[in-house]
Amino acid sequence: MTNIKIKSKNLNVYYGDKQALFDVNLDLNEKEVTALIGPSGCGKSTFIRCINRMNDVIDICKVTGNIEMDGMNINDKDLDVVSLREKVGMVFQKPNPFPKSIYDNISYGPKIHGKGETKSELDQIVEKSLKKSALWEEVKDRLDEPGTSLSGGQQQRLCIARAISVNPEVILMDEPCSALDPIATAKIEELIDELKKTYTIVIVTHSMAQAVRVSQKTGFFHLGKLIEVGKTEKIFKNPDNKMTQDYITGRFG
Amino acid sequence: MTKEERLKKRHRAEKRFRFYGLVSILVALLFVVILVQNIFSKGSSAFKKTVITTEIFFDQDLLEIQNGASQEEIMEADFYDVMIENLIKAYPAKDRAEEDELLKLFSGDAEIEIKKAFLKDNNLLGKTITLDLTASDDIDQLHKGNYPRDLPEERRRISDFQLVIYDYFVENKKISKNFNNYFFNNGDSRDPELAGIGGALVGSFYSILICLLLAFPVAFLASIYLEEFAPKNKITDFIEININNLAAVPSIVYGLLALQILLATIQLPRSTPLVAGITLALMTLPRIIIPCRASLKAVPPSIREGALAVGASKFQSVFHHVVPLALPGTLSGTIIGLAQALGETAPLILIGMVAFVVDIPSSPVDPSSSLPVQVYLWSESAERGFVEKTSATIMMLLSFLIVMNFIAVYLRQKFEKRWN
Repeated sequence: MTNIKIKSKNLNVYYGDKQALFDVNLDLNEKEVTALIGPSGCGKSTFIRCINRMNDVIDICKVTGNIEMDGMNINDKDLDVVSLREKVGMVFQKPNPFPKSIYDNISYGPKIHGKGETKSELDQIVEKSLKKSALWEEVKDRLDEPGTSLSGGQQQRLCIARAISVNPEVILMDEPCSALDPIATAKIEELIDELKKTYTIVIVTHSMAQAVRVSQKTGFFHLGKLIEVGKTEKIFKNPDNKMTQDYITGRFG
Repeated sequence: MTKEERLKKRHRAEKRFRFYGLVSILVALLFVVILVQNIFSKGSSAFKKTVITTEIFFDQDLLEIQNGASQEEIMEADFYDVMIENLIKAYPAKDRAEEDELLKLFSGDAEIEIKKAFLKDNNLLGKTITLDLTASDDIDQLHKGNYPRDLPEERRRISDFQLVIYDYFVENKKISKNFNNYFFNNGDSRDPELAGIGGALVGSFYSILICLLLAFPVAFLASIYLEEFAPKNKITDFIEININNLAAVPSIVYGLLALQILLATIQLPRSTPLVAGITLALMTLPRIIIPCRASLKAVPPSIREGALAVGASKFQSVFHHVVPLALPGTLSGTIIGLAQALGETAPLILIGMVAFVVDIPSSPVDPSSSLPVQVYLWSESAERGFVEKTSATIMMLLSFLIVMNFIAVYLRQKFEKRWN
């Protein structure tokens, strides 16, 4: 029996007057990959940005309803977002390494959270994170080089390494492969498979094939509503909803 | 119209546009060349001054001091008679009137120059040395070829007899041109040959320093707050519009403001770099905030999100990531703002920096001039010598501006980091 890591109940999100999410009830299982699919603007990214409160950045954004992680209310006004984001890492659509060295990119998170007190501790964290993100062999001799000098796929793996450097429990991935070529994509997918042993992963993707390959559970969003959610196999082979059927077979979207 | 004709027309339009662009650039370059050529041809001679090589005998009877006299005694000694006695020997003058005309060929500082030479070498009593004494403005301009000597005598400031002496000096190789140290070391003077930009340089330096110290921190923090922390609402919109408006307010208005508030109400000392610096800081503030905000805005949001996502606080994401990336643009914007402030004249005239100041200011609360105001002051003077001084001051001002702008571009290119 898998544990439920994150549980959303009647989650509504508004951007000003516009409602972006309507009563979303979605459970995410621990140490599993959940894929969110749906046409552009359907609210997938909005949903995962609720999990680490990245929507706070947007002034006009308002979130109502409940979203819990291990029983803790994420949407609580008094919650310290800094410690929430320490537990919930995020990888973005476009690789966004800091324009600093590869080493500094990864050591930054542990440093601000006080996780690496000494240089050798930090060295260890950097090495561990890079090994976990399958980048170590490629960059171990040039940790001083800027992160931006890497290729797109390497940059994205660097961002994953940066996310896992603070040892989170959940990793959110917002279309992590949309800017990458098929080979780099394959590497990231392989990595996701490996990472799910340790972390709970939520991935937003536009590629059905990717959702099938990497996820155990899939949710289909449309116009801000969660239309259907279930085991990935079931969603793609035998969806209950007609709209899901139409979307995955390419009839719209 | 056939397809070929349409294609040809499109190519012709592009060629025409390129031609217009080229012509515009050439016209602009032509104006720059004319301006620079004009200033250089008028101003470059100001960096040299004409000197008359004269033999000076330090007569103990005239000086009335002993061998080995102390510095104070020498300072108090009367060198006037020594000067007169020696200068009238520079040319065999026949009578008192001719001697007077001869004396007028030397600058008003001849006595001080002789005293300084004596102070430098304590051992000169009863000895004769050769000294290069600064010539008067008229001789200076004549020697530099700026003075038409073929005018009738009554329309000349130099008499026929003085021309004879001048020709005698030239013939005996007693007249020559030296580096004009007075131009850099002296303050303003009624005599063009003694006037310099030393006071204006120091005044401008203090003014810009105060302007930088006041304007930069305020503008920097204000732009960080507005760009990164302030909520986007009607109040911040209103503030933004007003900052843009303030940047476009004519500088003379800031001068009036300073006149009323700083001089009339707070009663800060008039004509001082302190007041000038505060006034320029007020004027420069919005002009620095605008480029600072632009360079903060140019940092992609993905950098902020990346920092926030690993758990950095807002403050950390701004000061660890955004500000370092925006710093080159911020600094170059500041330098360009200061360069504008350096060339600003109108507000300084209003706060009384047009005063005639001979002494070089030793602190920001001493009365002072500034480079652009010095240009304004000298450009109104009738003496020929001030024409070249005006242009030379413009050259100095322009070279400071060019250096500052160069530093701004260099900083931006050297330290600007690329992101994708």
